Amino acid sequence: MKQIVSTHNLSKRYQGKYCVEDLNISVEEGEIYGFLGPNGAGKSTTLKMILGLTRPNNGIVSVFGKEFNKNRRLILSQTGSLIESPSYYGHLTGLENMRIVQRLREVPEKNVMEALKIVRLDKQIDKKVNQYSLGMKQRLGIAMALMSFPKLLILDEPTNGLDPAGIGEIRELIKSLPERYGITVLISSHLLTEIEQIATSVGIINNGRMMFQGSMAELKDKSHSTIMIKTRNNKLAQELLYSKGFYSMQRGDSLVFENLMDEEIIQANRSLVTANIDVLRIEENKKSLEDIFLDLTGKEKSL
Amino acid sequence: MKAISLEFYKFRHRRLFLMVTLFLLVEVAFLFMGISRSISINPHNANWEALIVMFASMNGLIFPILVSVCVSRICDTEHKGNTLKLLLTLSVNPGQIYAAKYICACILMLWACTLQVLAIAVFGIVNGFENSVPTSLLIWFFAGIYLTSMAVIALQLWISMMWKNQAFAISLGMIGGFIGMTADLMPTGIRGMFIWSYFSKLSPVAQSYESEKLDFIVRDIHALLPMMLIVIVAGSILYLVGNFHLSRKEV
Repeated sequence: MKQIVSTHNLSKRYQGKYCVEDLNISVEEGEIYGFLGPNGAGKSTTLKMILGLTRPNNGIVSVFGKEFNKNRRLILSQTGSLIESPSYYGHLTGLENMRIVQRLREVPEKNVMEALKIVRLDKQIDKKVNQYSLGMKQRLGIAMALMSFPKLLILDEPTNGLDPAGIGEIRELIKSLPERYGITVLISSHLLTEIEQIATSVGIINNGRMMFQGSMAELKDKSHSTIMIKTRNNKLAQELLYSKGFYSMQRGDSLVFENLMDEEIIQANRSLVTANIDVLRIEENKKSLEDIFLDLTGKEKSL
Repeated sequence: MKAISLEFYKFRHRRLFLMVTLFLLVEVAFLFMGISRSISINPHNANWEALIVMFASMNGLIFPILVSVCVSRICDTEHKGNTLKLLLTLSVNPGQIYAAKYICACILMLWACTLQVLAIAVFGIVNGFENSVPTSLLIWFFAGIYLTSMAVIALQLWISMMWKNQAFAISLGMIGGFIGMTADLMPTGIRGMFIWSYFSKLSPVAQSYESEKLDFIVRDIHALLPMMLIVIVAGSILYLVGNFHLSRKEV
């Protein structure tokens, strides 16, 4: 597959401290790439560097296979974006804001109306943007980014400020973009559940470093289950099961086994009962995506 | 051209030309009342030179403030909605944005200067000044205030684009107005250092007090040219520095 966005050792330093360090992103054509990380991990800075809004201290950004610095105009003409908060002229109406982008993008009138219709703002076009709610401003920002139906769409936390229904709508819209318009989407978020529902590939960043990059399926593969067995005499049970070929670790007051099939669990249980070791509990412990994310980012639940 | 027409499109509903016109009308009305009173006391005061000198002095106060307000209103549209970020991702060059804003501010001030010159001419004609309209003096007067305005626009644009809080830019305009008004009282060497002082310095008519009598002297136009060159060079430097600063700014 063709690479749409790639960075090589991308780094950005503020006051001597790296907020993005040696980052290598790879987004392929037709993907919805979820760029995930806790607040302050360096997501927005990375996206700004990809769009040329911030100069990297080190590293190279390539978009559509071309180096950004040498092909800025060409790349930006085929890229739509919404970075951080939406940008708008508050004293102008929604339609007038769209017209400004239309004139700069040089796209036909029908694109304006279609983009407004997609984000369901077509009934609010004559209202001044200052009177819009935050969610409506966010929708306007998405409409502006979509107007030229670009090859690449970069969205930085696009569901901020939207109500649950709005989040659902935007999610469905983003999911439909690759198939409907052939748009590759790079979307950042600090919400795992959001990315989990729409992304086909994922990159997890923490403290400016890439902790994981791959398909969503690869990430889910990390969530293999473990079996926990609790007995009256864990030490004896561990020795017995080791002699039968079951390797375990002691965690808390239980023995933890990895990669056990159902048949093996039955066999282990039978061995313990035969040896008169009372089995108090056998439970399966499956790592959720959230646990994996927290393991990778080393953060507690308060993201 | 597209960038300039887009700038004007962005001004919609902001009534910038109306604001400039009203600002100017207040200055013109204030000065005309003063001059009319002066003429009613002494009919010899009804001359073009006195009129031009009074406007040049008053412009030192009014124009720096007017320029700062205009430029600030042109720039704060970008700050309020974070639109610089939007424009840059639409592959607009920062230099284009800067140039378009500069040209728009210059067009607004062109309107202000033209309006003022026309008002002077009409006032003189209506009050039956002895000589016919001194076209040459008015052209030099116009050139002086417009060139100085262009240099002050360059300064204000730099400040207004780089600092989000427009109170700073407006305060600078007010300080400029104070310096512009009091510049004539400063020693020659010092007053030339302030760009706002050129509103009165480039006036083709100067006032002179001799034997407790106020006289109006028409300056040698050739003596104004080096000062105009200084203003053009200062304005160009300010423009280039501001443009460079914006191109380095990370949004």
